[in-house]
Formats: sequence, structure tokens, C-alpha cells
Amino acid sequence: MQLNDFFEPYKGDVKEVVIGPEGKTVKIGGEKTLPFHAFEGQVGTPVRFALEVFDAPPEGWPEHLRSSYADVLADPVAWANKCVKQFGADFICLNLASLDGENPDVKRIAENVKKIAEQITVPLVVMGIGDKDKDAKALVEIAKVCGGKNLLLGPLVKENYEEIAKAALEGGHGIIPQSPLDINLCKELNVKLTKFFPKEKMVIDPLSAAIGYGIDYSFSIMERVKQVAVIHNDEMMKAPMVANIGKDCWKTKEAKEDKTQGILWEAITAFTLVLSGANMVIMRHPESLKLVKKLIS
Amino acid sequence: MILIGENIQILSKVVSNALKEKDEKPLQELAIRQAKAGADYIDLNVGPARKDPDVMKWLAGVIQEAVNKPLSLDTTNPIAMEAGLSVCKIPPLINSASGKQESKDKMLPLAVKYNCDVVLSVLIDAGIPTDSSSRAEAIMETVAYANEIGIPNERIWVDPIMMPISVDQPQVVELFEFMKILQDICPGAKSTLGLSNLSNGAPEHLRGILNRICLVMLDRYKCFSAIVDSFDEELVKLAKGQLPDIQNLIYKAMDEEVDVSGLPKKESDIVKTVNVLMGKSLYSHSWLET
Repeated sequence: MQLNDFFEPYKGDVKEVVIGPEGKTVKIGGEKTLPFHAFEGQVGTPVRFALEVFDAPPEGWPEHLRSSYADVLADPVAWANKCVKQFGADFICLNLASLDGENPDVKRIAENVKKIAEQITVPLVVMGIGDKDKDAKALVEIAKVCGGKNLLLGPLVKENYEEIAKAALEGGHGIIPQSPLDINLCKELNVKLTKFFPKEKMVIDPLSAAIGYGIDYSFSIMERVKQVAVIHNDEMMKAPMVANIGKDCWKTKEAKEDKTQGILWEAITAFTLVLSGANMVIMRHPESLKLVKKLIS
Repeated sequence: MILIGENIQILSKVVSNALKEKDEKPLQELAIRQAKAGADYIDLNVGPARKDPDVMKWLAGVIQEAVNKPLSLDTTNPIAMEAGLSVCKIPPLINSASGKQESKDKMLPLAVKYNCDVVLSVLIDAGIPTDSSSRAEAIMETVAYANEIGIPNERIWVDPIMMPISVDQPQVVELFEFMKILQDICPGAKSTLGLSNLSNGAPEHLRGILNRICLVMLDRYKCFSAIVDSFDEELVKLAKGQLPDIQNLIYKAMDEEVDVSGLPKKESDIVKTVNVLMGKSLYSHSWLET
């Protein structure tokens, strides 16, 4: 009798999503088993890590975070290249910080995104600021201007998913639908999107919280999303998941007050959510990234 | 299945205005219409009635003038409850008592004093139990207490507390599990629950199908009664066993995988709804569209 005789193959799987233009693509997801259950089925691609870059110099960062990027904060391309070459990021998450003012010039922002996408060697994720109207305006423009670059655009929420997803579809990009820590609303958004948007181009964000600030909710929901996809074969829940944790970790007082504590805070948050099923993690501090990669390997 | 009509309740504007103005007519009309529609009991939900506990006395009097149906006196306030009990001609239902200490002390003894049936929910001081076994544990203790003070199982209507499926789908599955074991743990006890709470938060036009199908499933699990929207005609017919085709399809979907491709929309909607209620597929507001 073999060990395998005791296993029943899972019915479902997680879609494999490809981001980035030809020549510099990265695959995400693709597993047919639960996280780290290699003994039960195909594990898919390794967990992918992005480091964050801002298109306007960030404010309010503690020195022990800022110092890693002090020489590149004003130059997103140099910043991105540093993240890739020196810190080993699988791709870059560009945060549209410049959207945050009054009447932002979305044309200029989109041109800038295009320039960055062309000058870096890895795929690009582009994240809005969480303002549903501003994000929609900017992401639609970016989708148009950066046609064919196969970016990953987010976040799409229930109030703006239609216009962004349509633009993403026309420009050939992937999307990140985001739901507010609620698995039923997560499914709802997926159901609505998949009526016109391909499932193979979605990476879902069930919303991540940092350790000590609600990570238990994120963990349970991500765990359930994965189970519903892999065990119960729910077609609507088979997208890979992203844990976007940089912002939430680095706004905690624990991360701000001490370097070691901050790095650990972000690394352990990342690791915890990877255990719960995140296929890709967006992080902020290079040392945290290094630590979590080491933990996983 | 015994139906308790929920349509006289304080959250309705018509009802709260009529109660404030002591206007009998709209309330009596609601009661008459419910009785005609097939309600076996008329629920009188006056809320906590802290300012005016006597409102229950007035309301019970007015309603029993209009209809010859037993009443279900629905308040958490024992003073209002007793005010209502003191005037009922047909023995009413106390709706409800629970395992909370305060309720054991003040509400349960009223069932003894007035020799009537009482709804006993699984609620305890620690809150609403979150799975079938903690529901069982909670109700066994509360029922034992009720037995001790002289209320036999046959006069107890156990309320497992229905939660909205859009908020906590696994709780619906736990409730069914609990219904399956109820007769083993409380032999002879009756049961009831607030059915409409199931679909609270679901899209308004889809609330009916959730409620109706769940009612048939509960009936199969030997649920004795439910507090329902009396004006949902199809629901009343289902409860009275008048729509056997629908009932059989629901039973079939409960027992086996039914392939929905090729089924007419009405039937495929029923199967999809059974799957969501049984926790076989994850709930979303657009469960019928997937």
C-alpha cells in the first residue's frame, strides 16, 4: 500500500495568471492543492513578491524604512530597478501617490506609468489610492496608454469595477478586484466581473490586515477562498490571491518605532498570509522581503 | 407546518403609527388578512415597549376582537408580556424566553403562571451559540431549567435562531444540523424560528425564494412551525403541502447532485438555492446567476 492510496485528488484548482509583456512575464497561481500541501497535489508557481515604488516621494515614513530607498525616492525607474536588481523583487507594484492631490493630471500620470513599465525588466502592478473615482479615472487612462503591456491594475471595487475592467480588457491587462474582508461580497464581485472579463486575468484581493490589526480576519477569509476553489471547485473563486500588506504594516506604531520590530512585523504578516493562501505579496521593506523569502525556502 | 404570521411588527411604519395613535383599524385588518392567507397564529411584535408596557394589553384585546386565532405575544419585556397574557381568551404563545438569566427569572415563570406554551431560544448569557453542538448544549440546559419549574417539553417551542445567510452562511448549515438532533435531545419539544431573518440583507426581490425553499427544508427536518410573511402566497402553499412538485425537487436536490443545465429557470433556481442553503456552494447575492 502506498501513501498516495490515502489521498483523494481535489476537484478544483487555481487559475494561472500571467502578467507582464512578452519577454518579461511572471506567472502567478496554478495550484491544484492547498498552500504547501505538495504531498497532495501540484503546488503551482512559487509565491511571488513585489516591492512597492511610488510615483511621488512618500511622506511620513520612518527613517529605518526610508533609508533603504533614500537615493532613489524621487526617481521611480531607479527605485524600481534597485528593487529588482538589489533586493530581488519578482515584480514592481507602482503606487499612484501622485493621484492624491486636487485635480491630478491623469494623462501625465499614465505617460509616466508607461515610461516606468518600459524601463524596468519585470512586470508592473499599478495600484490606485483607494479613492473609487480618482482610481477609475487614472486606471482607465493607464489601461489605454499602456495597451499591450499586460499590467495588473487595481484595486477594482464594486462601485468602479465596470469601467476599469472594460478598459483593462481593451488594453489587454489583468485586474485586481478588491472586496472588504467578506467572502460573499468577494464572490459577488467575481460573478459580476466574469460576465465580461476572463477569469484567467484576475488576481483577487480579499483585503489584508497586519498582525495585531485584524490579520485573523484576513487569514480566515483567504483560507476559505482557497478551500472553496480547490476543495469545492467553485468556478467563481479560482483566481489567485494577492496580499497587499506594505501600507497596513508600516502604519502601525510597532513598525514605526523600531527597525527590527518593523521588519519582523511586515515579514511575519506576509508569511502568515502566504500560509493562508496568498499567491503573491506586495511588500515595502527590502529586509522584510529577504526574511520572508528565507523562511519559505 | 404551523405558521405564525409576522406582519404585525413594530418595525413596520403602518404598525408603529397605529400603535402610537391607538388606531385599531389597520391592525385588525392586518390580522384578518393574515388569518385569511393561512396564518395559524398572529404574532404581535411590539418591541421592548419600555415606555408603554400596556400597549400589549391593548393590542392583544383589539386583535382577538377581530380574529379567532391564538396570538403569539412577541416582546422581550416581561411586564408587557404579562399585560398581554392577562387578557388573552385563547391560550397564547409567549415569544420569547431564552437561557439568559434575566429571562429565566422573569419570563419563563409567566408560562407557568398562565399555563401557556413558550418559545425558548438557544440564546444564553454568553450570546448566540455558533454551531449545532453548542446550540444543543445551551438548549438542554435551558429546557432542563424550564422542566424543573414545571414546563414540560410539549409546551416548549425551541427557537434555534436563524441568522442571515448573507452574513454567516455556515450558521444556516449548523441550524439544519441542530434541527436534525432536536428530538433526540428534547423529545416532544416543538420548534419555531424567525424565517425571514434568513434573507435579511439579501437582494429584496430574491428574499422570497430563499425563505420558501428553506421552509420546505426545515419542514423535512421536522421543524414544527415558523414565523413567516403571511402574504407570501407560495410560501403558505408550500407549508401546507399544496405544491408537491416543488417540494419533491427540493428534496431531490437535498439528497443528490442535480444537474441544472437544461432545467427550466424556475427549477434551476430552486436547485441552486438548495445548494446555497446546504452550504454546497458559497453564497453571493447573485447566487442564481452562476
